[in-house]
Amino acid sequence: MNNARQERVLSPFERSSAMRANVKKLYIYVVLVLIVMVFSVVKLGQVEMFGRGHFLSPDSIINLLRAAVPILTLSGAFTLLMISGYIDLSVGSAMSLSAVVFALMILNGFPFFLALPVTLVLGIACGFVNGFLVMRLRITPVIATLVTLNLFKGIALLIVPDGMSAIKGSALKRMPAWINDYARQEVLLGLPWAFYVAVAVIVVLVVVQRRTILGKYAAAIGGNRTAAELSGINSLKWIVLLYIIVGLFAALAGVARASYMSLGDPLSGDGMELDCIIAVLLGGTAFSGGEGWVSKTVVGAIIIMCVTTGLMTVIPSFWQIFAKGSVLIAAVALNHLLVREKAPA
Amino acid sequence: MSQTENVLEIRDLVKDFPAVRAVNHVSFDIKRNTIHCLVGENGAGKSTLIKILTGATPRSSGKIVLNGREFTPHSPKEAKQKGISTLFQELNVVDQLTVAENLTLGMEDTRFGFLRRTDKIAAMVDVMNSLEPSIHPKMLVSSLSVARKQIVEIAKAVASESDIIIMDEPTAAISEGEIARLFKIVKALREKNVTVIYISHRLDEIFELGDFVTVMRDGRHIDTKPVSEIRDRSELIHMMIGKTVFEQYTPKQEACKDPILRVRNLSNHKLHDISFDVHEGEIVGFYGLVGAGKTELARAIYGADAHEGEITFKDRRLPASPDKAIEAGIALVPEERRSQGLFTILTIRGNVPVMNMKKISRGGFVNASQERAVTQQYIDKLRIATSSTEKEASKLSGGNQQKVVFSKCLFADADLLMLDEPTRGIDVGAKSEIYGIVRRLSEEGKSIMIFSSELHEIMNICDTIYLLFDGHLKSSLRNGCDIDNEKILHIVTGGEVTGGDLTGAETT
Amino acid sequence: MSADVPSARKTFAAGMSNESFLTVFMIGVLVVLFAVACLFVPNFYLLQNIINLFANYWFVIILGIGVTFLLITGNFDMSVGGVVAMTGVLAVYFCQGYNVSQNALANGLGLPYGAAVALALVGALGIGAINAFFIARLRVPSIIVTLGTMMIARGIAQVVTRGAQRNTSLPDVFGVVGNTFIPGTSIKVAVLIMIVLVAAAFLVEKKTVAGRRTYLIGANAVAARLSGVKVGRHLALLYMVSALLAGITGILLASEFKAGLSGRATGYEFDALVIALLGGVSIAGGFGSVLGMFVGAIILAVVTSSATGLLLSPDWQFTLKGIVTFLAILAQRFALDKRKG
Repeated sequence: MNNARQERVLSPFERSSAMRANVKKLYIYVVLVLIVMVFSVVKLGQVEMFGRGHFLSPDSIINLLRAAVPILTLSGAFTLLMISGYIDLSVGSAMSLSAVVFALMILNGFPFFLALPVTLVLGIACGFVNGFLVMRLRITPVIATLVTLNLFKGIALLIVPDGMSAIKGSALKRMPAWINDYARQEVLLGLPWAFYVAVAVIVVLVVVQRRTILGKYAAAIGGNRTAAELSGINSLKWIVLLYIIVGLFAALAGVARASYMSLGDPLSGDGMELDCIIAVLLGGTAFSGGEGWVSKTVVGAIIIMCVTTGLMTVIPSFWQIFAKGSVLIAAVALNHLLVREKAPA
Repeated sequence: MSQTENVLEIRDLVKDFPAVRAVNHVSFDIKRNTIHCLVGENGAGKSTLIKILTGATPRSSGKIVLNGREFTPHSPKEAKQKGISTLFQELNVVDQLTVAENLTLGMEDTRFGFLRRTDKIAAMVDVMNSLEPSIHPKMLVSSLSVARKQIVEIAKAVASESDIIIMDEPTAAISEGEIARLFKIVKALREKNVTVIYISHRLDEIFELGDFVTVMRDGRHIDTKPVSEIRDRSELIHMMIGKTVFEQYTPKQEACKDPILRVRNLSNHKLHDISFDVHEGEIVGFYGLVGAGKTELARAIYGADAHEGEITFKDRRLPASPDKAIEAGIALVPEERRSQGLFTILTIRGNVPVMNMKKISRGGFVNASQERAVTQQYIDKLRIATSSTEKEASKLSGGNQQKVVFSKCLFADADLLMLDEPTRGIDVGAKSEIYGIVRRLSEEGKSIMIFSSELHEIMNICDTIYLLFDGHLKSSLRNGCDIDNEKILHIVTGGEVTGGDLTGAETT
Repeated sequence: MSADVPSARKTFAAGMSNESFLTVFMIGVLVVLFAVACLFVPNFYLLQNIINLFANYWFVIILGIGVTFLLITGNFDMSVGGVVAMTGVLAVYFCQGYNVSQNALANGLGLPYGAAVALALVGALGIGAINAFFIARLRVPSIIVTLGTMMIARGIAQVVTRGAQRNTSLPDVFGVVGNTFIPGTSIKVAVLIMIVLVAAAFLVEKKTVAGRRTYLIGANAVAARLSGVKVGRHLALLYMVSALLAGITGILLASEFKAGLSGRATGYEFDALVIALLGGVSIAGGFGSVLGMFVGAIILAVVTSSATGLLLSPDWQFTLKGIVTFLAILAQRFALDKRKG
């Protein structure tokens, strides 16, 4: 029969979507390389390649990676949530709240290995609240997490005693010096514990996405919820779990931030959700869910950090927000071109 | 484990809706490991029966016995767990996962959350290999064609050890070569301890595939026989139609006027090279069963979907968007009134004037009293059962909702009205009211196109009838007194078109 | 023919639409809250305080107009705060004297006042156009796009002011519109402008074709398209209007303080969303009113000024906003469910 032969020839549609798939896989690495190159050459007139002050100098790279710890810790979990089709805009506030609580405990004499788990439990609680609002009370994710954004931020601002927040800055004198150890002390290759923890988190989440049932179900629920539920998947359970995981890692990111800054700043996490969204978009996650890769989001996160830190060396800091906004819109445009959204019903 | 000879026994099943008894004391058996076909015209009760079997709707009375045990599913999920899987037109596969992942979805073996490849899993994945080796388990479902996605769904049903797979018009969206492959797979299912309930209006498929066939008509069970005992198509068609009497059609007195709509070589993803004319004041019917392309044709003309070909309306090229079609003088009553035709959370007044706001407004400002007056006018004219214009549309009955949608389109002052399944799910009284409205409009000089899968409806009021099958315009005829209904059903179920037995005019 | 059961009694409550019911419900909530506040907060009932409830919130209410219309169609506009800052800063910049000082932040383009304001508003419309393109044309989710344009707009404000502000070498006329008071009172003209805009918006909402179309799109976008509504074009229009309203607010605020601050209006987009939600506008679409939003604004004002009156620190506002929004959503849902019976 001719039928078998007929099917082997790819239709133009199939050919172009194969090409698209290839471009989709690689473009993010291309973007990363381009950005690194741009920042590398930009100051060549003034500094030597790889020398002091250059974008690719050891100092600069270490700084970048250290500063990237929070987003690296958080964006993996954020990706998993977006793959399932849900969003969490309160991660920044959850992060700040965790930073505040952690710093508060340290300030009051708690040891690190007690303060850390307690903070993580707090993160889990935050995530649970989000999951509850979204799945049980069925409030739209955007609005539910905007509510919790305000709530967590408010609680953080309220429990910060005088002298603790960045605005009221006398805490520095009273905070034990070792708080810096987690996020600043050089452990290996000049990078701190927090960085390696973040790397471990990423590895774990990549594995979770590819090899565990959580990763599969997140994609199933995001891809075709009806099919998933017909197959017996309890989406309420799994989505709440995803929100909890996001909360957990937001708390871990908060710990890193508090450690880095030596204090608990209730505003330190502001804008983190935007960074996560940009990283996720650059990584090719679809808005409607189903598709997305933790590994690619990480590349997206690095790209953002390059842009923000790189820009800091080149242009004054007041360009930051404009730059970030432009990157977000550019990421949206790129994402639109390359990701085929599910057709609306 | 011994299994009963009949995998499914239906006893005295009844389903009542507020306006109609959709399933009327139906009883028959389905033997295990057979391909059991279910046929009947639109409105015969097939879909309601299936909805009861799949748990989508509860039965009113009667008994269903599955594998020797009483079966009362409360949801599609429960029905699936108890062993009845269904293949719908909307595919229930997750595009973003691989074939293997889809096959094992919901049935994974895990250890501390990690997915393990156990023998059980391997066996499930192997089902695919035994059914259709050319589909590799690691392929992404999004890269597969519709036909292959269907096979993945079938494999999944087999892998989850379903006793029964219901296939609802599965060949509507796939090509001929793919149909042959599908049939091979369906036949192989019998050896895998699966019973197939196969619903299709393409009667040739029944003869090729089926072991048994059940015919339903008007909600009743007519007969269940082995396919081998049925002589030919006409016998089957005869069972489907019975001796129903159609309302008398009153032919038009005057001769037809000029064509107002000219369609030439209309094609898109579903339609194939369709050409026809609609004349002023004519009521044209488009008859075909599920998947014939009726809605696609209506939407293409309306500009709601992309298409190739030429459409001229009132001697002008018709631009491709609904707002421009409305401006030119065409209005569409869509197929799904709740999701496409009606604004359910708005009031009647919020719905009716919507397609012709110019008429009740000036300079962008709405004249509220005119708005109310117009709404009341249509409430009176169409006898919509409500005490006020402010009633929320969602609170109206189906028939009244449809009247609201009608009012909406009538208010658009269109010269050509397209009605897609205008009386679906509406009680008899409201139906005849709507037919009366249609006749009146035609007398006023409006042209009407009716797209319907109910033959009664088409025969009742249409002047000219076009027959659709599989996106093709197969034949046309003038309505009159001696129409051969069996011949019509023969064509819309895929039969060959022979000479002029339809007392017809032009065939395209 | 089956008839619908007519409502048993034509009481006032049964006869009105769900929307009016919710608005009345929220007014009831407002009255209760106000009464409670009067009990616990000293001097809450004074006339001056009541006037302040409106007068101190005028800017969020104007922003709320655009946000409400878009929310009715099921879309967000989180860029308004950034547009306020951007427009104010641009207006100042365009108007500042040309080459009058060593300090770069004191030099502008030296344009006449009218041209400066007009150009700044054009800038606001530009942001609206970006929103319109991505959301109406490319169908990208509005929450993400408008967060991006919010950053771009605020970013422009930051760049032009180098992260600080511009407040020198301005012509006197610049400060007029923001600092004029209604004769005989201490209420700024801006408040009057707000009232006029809300009234106009209410008129549009209830009485114009454009208003009707907004509800149609929100109620059922598919049916709207099939009924001849040009959905993309209408959404684009709404985003431009929202940006324009934000621009006007920016001009007024810049005029009031005679300065363009890069940090102005931070968080206003959230406030605008909160007051719309408090007012009963539903993200599900097709439902809600600017009048409700106005009531929501007063509710928020009562809550936040009670907090101030009870000597709670300003840090409380975030928590309060979160809790109040949450309670409002639940209360509205409860009230509507009860009504449907």
